[in-house]
Amino acid sequence: MKYLVTDDSKLARLSIVKSLKAHVGDAEIFQAENGEVAVALVKEHKPDVVFLDLTMPVLDGYGALPLIKECNQKIKVIVVSADIQEQAKTKVMALGAEMHIQKPINADKMQEILELI
Amino acid sequence: MSNITLTEDEKDVLQELMNVAYGNATAIVADMLDAFASLSIPNIKIMQTAELLNELHDLKGDSYFFSTQAFAGEFSGESAFFIDNESAQNLALHLELETDEDLQDAILELTNVLTSSLTTRLAKEMNTEVKFSLPSISKIPLNEMDQNDSFKEYSQVIVIDTQLNFEDQKINGEIFILTKDGSIEWLKNQLNNILEAMM
Ligand SMILES: [Mg+2]
Repeated sequence: MKYLVTDDSKLARLSIVKSLKAHVGDAEIFQAENGEVAVALVKEHKPDVVFLDLTMPVLDGYGALPLIKECNQKIKVIVVSADIQEQAKTKVMALGAEMHIQKPINADKMQEILELI
Repeated sequence: MSNITLTEDEKDVLQELMNVAYGNATAIVADMLDAFASLSIPNIKIMQTAELLNELHDLKGDSYFFSTQAFAGEFSGESAFFIDNESAQNLALHLELETDEDLQDAILELTNVLTSSLTTRLAKEMNTEVKFSLPSISKIPLNEMDQNDSFKEYSQVIVIDTQLNFEDQKINGEIFILTKDGSIEWLKNQLNNILEAMM
């Protein structure tokens, strides 16, 4: 399995990578700091799972999500966001996200996510 | 005068913690107003108070409702919420308020919910707790802002600035969190601890 972690915050990326590594060991994990870089990395590395932040500069999660799904419908996109409004969730689920998770992610939450996908 | 700066990493951590705290606060306010708010990326700066006042002068609109709420603890300071006249009128419309008094009351309650949930969550993310005083409100022209006492006691401030934006209702606000002195040192230390724990 290959993973891509997308967030404009280094802290947020590190925290996802850390909890991911606790469960998947030495799987390949790529990182992107905005939606545009994420789409490029999806094309280049064909990850199976993408963790995607919503509020980002250049291209935000709402913009990146359909482009990622366009590359490959089978990619599982986990939206990890501080925006916990119901409308945000509805919107990303309609765009093809697998789930919408509230930040921050810890190791327990990561285990739940990995069990569900 | 001391001159503290934040490193890129410290800024990143603070911005992300603020993002989480703000997301939480916005959801509560959005629920309260039965409206959807778009989130923006928080802007973080260390400024001299004079610079902050200049910046406030540049905000558009000539009259604002301005409310503040102080918080105390290891992390202490003040949160301020600005809402321009037009947005305030739209808020009144949205909530079907009829008098100025009701509007002031609604803005105070909005400030209270917004800034206390924001600061509580921010403090929690930094592993500490804060106590709040009651919010107060004033309606002042921006060119008189520098006469506001709450800014006078800060020489250097960390300004965390974020927009509250309800597009459909045309309600815009701006939230500032101001911290100073010992809190800035404490904050820097805490931000580094948080980042190191992730390495
Ligand atoms: Mg972000």
